[in-house]
Parts: sequence; structure tokens; C-alpha cells
Amino acid sequence: MLFLTIFEKSLSFLPIFKTATPSLISVIIYIFIKKSSMKPSYLILFLVGFLNDIIFGSNLGNTSIFLLLIKFFSKSLAFDNINKNDKQDWISFTMIFLSSFCIVFFMNILLNLSMPDLSPVFYYVGTTLIIFPIVNLSFDFISFITRILKS
Amino acid sequence: MVSSKPSNFKIIKVGKNFNFFLVLLCLILVFLGKLDLVAIRNAKSFLSDFLAPVTYAFNKPVKEIAGVLEDVKSAGSLRDENIRLKSELRRITVSNSKFASQELELLELRELLKVLPKNKNNIVTGRAITAPGGIFANTVLINAGKDYGIKIGQPAISSLGLVGYVVNVGLKTSRVLLIIDINSMIPIYLTESHWPAVTHGQNGELLKIKFLSSDARPIEGEAVETSGHGGRLPPGINVGKLYKSFSGTYFIKPTVDFHRLTYISIIINKKKLTISDSFQGFAPLQKPNQSLVLKGLDSSGTRKTESLENW
Repeated sequence: MLFLTIFEKSLSFLPIFKTATPSLISVIIYIFIKKSSMKPSYLILFLVGFLNDIIFGSNLGNTSIFLLLIKFFSKSLAFDNINKNDKQDWISFTMIFLSSFCIVFFMNILLNLSMPDLSPVFYYVGTTLIIFPIVNLSFDFISFITRILKS
Repeated sequence: MVSSKPSNFKIIKVGKNFNFFLVLLCLILVFLGKLDLVAIRNAKSFLSDFLAPVTYAFNKPVKEIAGVLEDVKSAGSLRDENIRLKSELRRITVSNSKFASQELELLELRELLKVLPKNKNNIVTGRAITAPGGIFANTVLINAGKDYGIKIGQPAISSLGLVGYVVNVGLKTSRVLLIIDINSMIPIYLTESHWPAVTHGQNGELLKIKFLSSDARPIEGEAVETSGHGGRLPPGINVGKLYKSFSGTYFIKPTVDFHRLTYISIIINKKKLTISDSFQGFAPLQKPNQSLVLKGLDSSGTRKTESLENW
């Protein structure tokens, strides 16, 4: 997971992600919680976020809170009525991601006492939401192949 | 026989308390990080040093791919680029000869007025290990630390201008806060309209201007440099150019492309110069002594190809 966050940030070397890089880690955590038996624990998410903040120099605890919120909302009952079938995964993820991001974003505004430029923020949210179905389909495809190979 | 239900319930309760504890710990960390305590700074720099090779290894393939994409893109426009560069070279050659004579005149005038010389800077150059991307923070880790005399607060530059300043130093790595970061504020000077101000990063591509006098009449497109006010950053480092938005607000577009930073130089100290050190030896032209200069090697070993006409 830590390597994934490092990879995620390194994507900003590519011209397409110059403005902001998508949050691959939140997509992966969501998919793992909903579809896989390997559910990341809160402690692991906390440590990954903590190390990520140290490597990339953001406020300590910032990424940890974001990751913990993603897991908390993914497991939360509030969105369970939406997520009844697989096709509605995207809507569910959008709500979870936006709720977690908004909390962290407003926390940062309070900490810095300044409003950041919104264009990278919108780009970050947009690219993450676009990338989600691609990763989701890839995950479904891989699990389908694995099932066939096993049978 | 004991039922398993109560024990499961206990685990859930303990788990919930633990989650609550982790969130609380995160919040405490956020506020401790903001307090900028020395212990936390040291721990951060130690961990940065430790994780730097891993980060570098993971960034390398993406950087290479980005390089290949850039090469492919530029190969398509090679002819146009060549024509543009040729015309630019011609323009620069003309302006260079003009500037050379002006520079000599300036040096002589400085000498006459006994102006204190500008300090020459010693620099250390390191490779950028991490990408600057991030919507909450814009920092870069470089592979040079205390070993090379880098200290907190020293300015970081690239060949194009100011990159930022050092905010944390480890033994082998240093963290540079980019000027586009929301926590970065730099005293600047508008070079044509001659007004001082302060730039404030926005975590975006443009910099806000703060504390600009209401009497100021900035000129769109004028160059912006560091003013040196406060004594932290040396004056005269290129920051960017001034742009006017549709709403009439002025912004600065940095000259440095922060996403293509490979090497970053840190200005580590200033060498004090005397007036005589800075003077490059300009003097009015004198009639040359007529002497015989033969083709071939002179006493210093340099080849002479011309001889005086009036011999």
C-alpha cells in the first residue's frame, strides 16, 4: 500500500497528471473492503498514511485521517442501501470519496487559514472518479480469470 | 460451554475504541505537525533519509516513461523547434553584445560610486527524489543534506529561477518547500514598476500577490524578482512574470516548471567580497603598443593567429 501511494505521487511526472494525481489508494481500499477478503486494518491504514505524509511532506496525520475515513465510510451502514448491486458501486464510491475528501479539505483550510487554488482540487476529484470504474473493471476481470483458473 | 457471541462483541467494542484512538492520534499529529516541534522535525528528517532510496526507486520508472513521452512529443515538432531556436539564437547574439558593453559601463559606474559589491553565492546541487505533486502540500525531497552544509531556510533555485526554500534537513536529504505551496510567502520586487510586495502560494500554478501598495501601478508581463527584504533570501533571484486576470487581479506565473525539476541548487552561504574583488578591470581603451606578433605559439603556450597590421 505504501508503494502504491509512492507510485500514485510519482504519476505527477506524467504530463496528464501535472495538475494533480488521482487517489489510487482510496480506490484500492474501497475495492478491497467491498470485494476482497483482504481487508486492510485501521492500523495499517494509519501507518501507510503516516509514512506517506513523511515522504511527501504534507501535514502529519492528514493522509491517515483520509484513509481511515475511507474505510469507515466504506463499512458504514449509511451507504449500504445504495450499494445493493455491483452496478451502483460507482455512486457509492463517489459519495464515500467526496465525504472523506471534504472533511480533510476543510480541515486543511482551517489549519492553513487560507483557501487553496480549486482547479487542482477539482482535477484530483475528477480523475479519481474517472479512474474508479477502470480499476473496478480490471479487478473484476482479474478475479474472474483467477476463478476460471482455479476451477 | 461458553458462547462465542459475547467475546465477539468485546472485540468489536475494543476495535471501535482503537479506531477512535487512531483518529484522535491523527488529529493530535496534525496539530503537533503545525507546531513545528524540533523532535518531530528530527523524526521526519530521519524517516525521510531512511525512505529516500525506496521513493527514488519507485519514481524512477515513471520518470523514465515521462521522459520517453516527452521525447516522442518533441520529435514531432523538431523542425519547427529548430527554426524557432535559430531565430532566438540570432536575437540573443545581438542582445548579448549590447549587454556586454552595458555591463562594463555598469561595473565602472559602480566602482566610481563605491557601491557595495553583490555577494557571490556558494551553491550545492542535489537531485530531486520526489515529485512535487499534491493538493495539500508542494514539497520536494533532494538527495543532499547536512553533510553538504545545507540548513533550514536556505533558498533553493534552478537554472530558471527561485524554486523555494529548505524547511527540513536530514543527514542525506533535505526538504524544499516550493513557492507554489500554500504555506510559502516570499518578499518580491516588481522590476519595472519598482514596487515591493509579497507572493503567497496557492497550491496551484499561480502565485497570489499580497501587501502591494494601493498606489502601485503594476505592468502586465513585468519580471518579478526576490527583494531580499528580511534578509532570508538574496535579492535579484528570478521568481516569475506578472499576469492580470479577467477580474483585474494580478498574479505571478513562476518561471520554473515545478513538474520537470530534476536538479535543485541550494544557496548555502555567501562569500563576502571587497569592492576590488568585484571589479572586472574595465579601463578606457588605450592605444596598443606596437610590437611584433608572429603566428605560432607565444610564451604562455597559446596559439597566435593574427599579427598587428601597422607593424
